[in-house]
Amino acid sequence: MSAGDKKGRFVQTTVEVEGRTETRVVELPAFEPTPWTADAPLTIVGTSPLRTDAFEKVTGRARYTADTVRPGMLHAVLVRAPIAKGTLNALALDRARAMPGVRGVLGPGDAPPGTRLFRRDISYAGQPLAAVCAESLLEAERAAHALAASLDLTPAPHAATVEDALASDAPSVRSAGNATAPAVVERGDVTRGLAEAEVTVTREYRTPVALHSALEPHGAVAEWNGDQLTIWESTQGIFRVRNDVARALGVPQAKVRVLKDYMGGGFGAKNGAGAHTYVAALFARALGAPVRCVNDRRGEQMDTGNRPATVQKVTLGATRDGTLTAVALEAWVPLGISGWEGGPAQIYHEMYSCPNVRTSEVSVYINAGGMQAFRGPGYVEGAFALEGAMNALARTLQMDPVALRRKNLATHDERTGRPFSGNRLDECYVEGMRRFNWPSTVHRPPSTVTRAKRGIGMAAETWPTGGGPPSYANVRINSDGSVDVLAGTQDLGTGARTIFAQIAAEALGASLASVRTVIGDTERLPYTGNSWGSMTTPSVGPAVRMAAEDAKTHLLAAAAPMLNAPIERLSTRDSQVCVDGAPALAFSDLCRRLGNVQIVGHGSRGPNPELAIVTVGAQFAEVEVDTETGVVRVLRIVAVHDAGRIINPALADSQLHGGIIQGVGYALFEERHMDRARGVPLNANLHDYKVPTMADVPVIDALFLGGADPAANHVGARGIAEPPIIPTAPAIAAAVADALGVEVCALPLTPWRVLGALAG
Amino acid sequence: MHLTVNGSPREVDSQRFPTLLAALRDQLGLTGPKLSCGHGECGACTVRLNGDLVYACLSLTAACEGAQIETVEGLAAGENLHPLQQAFITHDATQCGFCTPGQLMAAAALLERNPSPSEEEIRTAMSGNLCRCGTYPKIVAAIRAVAAGANG
Repeated sequence: MSAGDKKGRFVQTTVEVEGRTETRVVELPAFEPTPWTADAPLTIVGTSPLRTDAFEKVTGRARYTADTVRPGMLHAVLVRAPIAKGTLNALALDRARAMPGVRGVLGPGDAPPGTRLFRRDISYAGQPLAAVCAESLLEAERAAHALAASLDLTPAPHAATVEDALASDAPSVRSAGNATAPAVVERGDVTRGLAEAEVTVTREYRTPVALHSALEPHGAVAEWNGDQLTIWESTQGIFRVRNDVARALGVPQAKVRVLKDYMGGGFGAKNGAGAHTYVAALFARALGAPVRCVNDRRGEQMDTGNRPATVQKVTLGATRDGTLTAVALEAWVPLGISGWEGGPAQIYHEMYSCPNVRTSEVSVYINAGGMQAFRGPGYVEGAFALEGAMNALARTLQMDPVALRRKNLATHDERTGRPFSGNRLDECYVEGMRRFNWPSTVHRPPSTVTRAKRGIGMAAETWPTGGGPPSYANVRINSDGSVDVLAGTQDLGTGARTIFAQIAAEALGASLASVRTVIGDTERLPYTGNSWGSMTTPSVGPAVRMAAEDAKTHLLAAAAPMLNAPIERLSTRDSQVCVDGAPALAFSDLCRRLGNVQIVGHGSRGPNPELAIVTVGAQFAEVEVDTETGVVRVLRIVAVHDAGRIINPALADSQLHGGIIQGVGYALFEERHMDRARGVPLNANLHDYKVPTMADVPVIDALFLGGADPAANHVGARGIAEPPIIPTAPAIAAAVADALGVEVCALPLTPWRVLGALAG
Repeated sequence: MHLTVNGSPREVDSQRFPTLLAALRDQLGLTGPKLSCGHGECGACTVRLNGDLVYACLSLTAACEGAQIETVEGLAAGENLHPLQQAFITHDATQCGFCTPGQLMAAAALLERNPSPSEEEIRTAMSGNLCRCGTYPKIVAAIRAVAAGANG
């Protein structure tokens, strides 16, 4: 719905959050800056100044939530369920309360209903059952161990897998049923499309449960001052934590202040308050002292979310020339005990042009920790199967896999019918082939190597990265001419602080060195949404730019009489007001003359255009497979993506590296192993759950095409953080299939799986 | 217990703070070394003990009497950053920064032992320090730059 369809200043707009479409009401901004087109003469945006907070990080001065110390602070530890399902009959709370240093315990019945904490009915291993608060972490841990040893439990049958949960005699995981009805989305007629096909391929793919494994565990420090609660939290969404806590504790949002300075990674798992937050707040209120509660690693790996496993049956139909006639998916997704219903289907509707697409997804509830969004949720899992099937189709057709994809290039979003704001996927294919030196033909001479076999493969991605409202920012010019960008957003390590300083400096005509970005405070900064869904840059960036443009308007209005020149002749550059392009008055002199008259610009994010806004790309992989040991080594990855304008190429490179390296982990190592009989994770640590080390990293040649997407928003930038992980695993799997001559349709590509596939 | 931490004599309580990491973080307030896994799996707590690299989360305070401990806080000489710290800044070898103190200590020890390591030697020597953000290529570049500078 466009702005003109509505009376008044509030309009509806659609926003895609982690691949899920939401309709939101948004107030139209007071003005929309002219979009920065590809040829806009920008001098700060598009360059790579150093991270503004790198000094703090390399000196150890950066303070993370887990480093926060408050006077008289106490330490809280959670006690977690060691069984997957059953009942907690009793535990020795009084004995724990009497232990040295212990100041308080919380158990069944002690938490407000809104927190859903400390329930007697256990539905997954890792569920919080009780908590201890003590003067030192050591004393709290000792009491927690004593409590854990005192648990009187009655175990009940559990479901650890899709098969367990769907069995005829399956235990009930939740009262509404263990599985949802199939969620079917169809366009065209897949039956007809398959009838028209000259070639079909059908495969069943399996993907594992992957764990976010941020190095800083979830944690919070809570402190009450009268009825005012302050929380330091490692989070991707300070306002969401505030709202969660206010609702759960029944206090006004105005009484809860959430602060976040540095955080040690999130990857999708830190999007709201958790048990640790509520426990810290409850103990702090009851004991009249600040309380810190940080997950230990085992709790972190068991109970803070995961990328759920999938089973995906894919059928593709095509004519002999490679034109897709049908895309069909049947998927089962074990969410754990909770999570988003809806998994890998959406990419099947968006990636390729095809008149007949049908997806059917069953969400299955099992007795395990619930899923949370994890970098490219749904699309990572979906791309492994869809792209695997596309590569299988290419082999069946004896067609180059890049040529097959270019043949079926989507020219608009066929799911929504919307045109793209910009989509240079075809250029990504061409540039990727050039950089990789991709062979022009599929008929390569067979390898004469017998043991260490090499192979190549590729895959593509799309991911919704439009961002959207609401997001607000202020730009304040101080009386010495220095500038504060004020926005209640988060920097997860992406460099958000730096790029917002760049955008503000560019729009205001200030020197970058004079601009500081202040983020992470719900009390004193304007609202922005969570830093998830690759949304921060395209959501907050336009609000920051608008605030800086607004501040510039005020600044020039103040300068005009001082310079005795009309505003039309004034401009700004490098913290100077210029007359007819010549520097005439420094911001510092101007602001000194204004004294304490404040110049504050206000910015907000306007509604989205009725366009499909996506970041697309292609990745190419070369691997070496030791056919005696089954070990796969990724030798190199070439990645080319299109995300419109890149604000800071160096920071964008890090997002490419990070996504690709996490993709290597997903492809080769990462998998939560469950003891099916007990329903307890066997590798809830960083030793047995393998994330990539420096020794596992391939040679990476990765880039964004650049340019600008002024149709997406007036900054011209789409999101970049999630797309780079999406095609990595299917590209690696394709390369392994190329090396071995046999497909491995399950992740991770462990030596066992590779040897199993070789053995047929 | 008497330790020398970053050149200064310090006293710590090994009863209340049994691991070196707890003593550094919770008693001495040195929060550069991080608690992430607590089991010697990730390297976020890496410090040097009498010159050797150790995981502070697995090191017992009681075994450190008289030891020389170096943490990331002691890497710079006053306001003059260690060349590795400067290289991590200029090569953008941080993302979230949580693993950075441990990465820097491991890199410093590597270059003292082997001033001109090959890329393969860097990757092997640094593989005990996890970075979930995937900053590895830039960390390698930063270490290589310092090694090249030291040689040149």
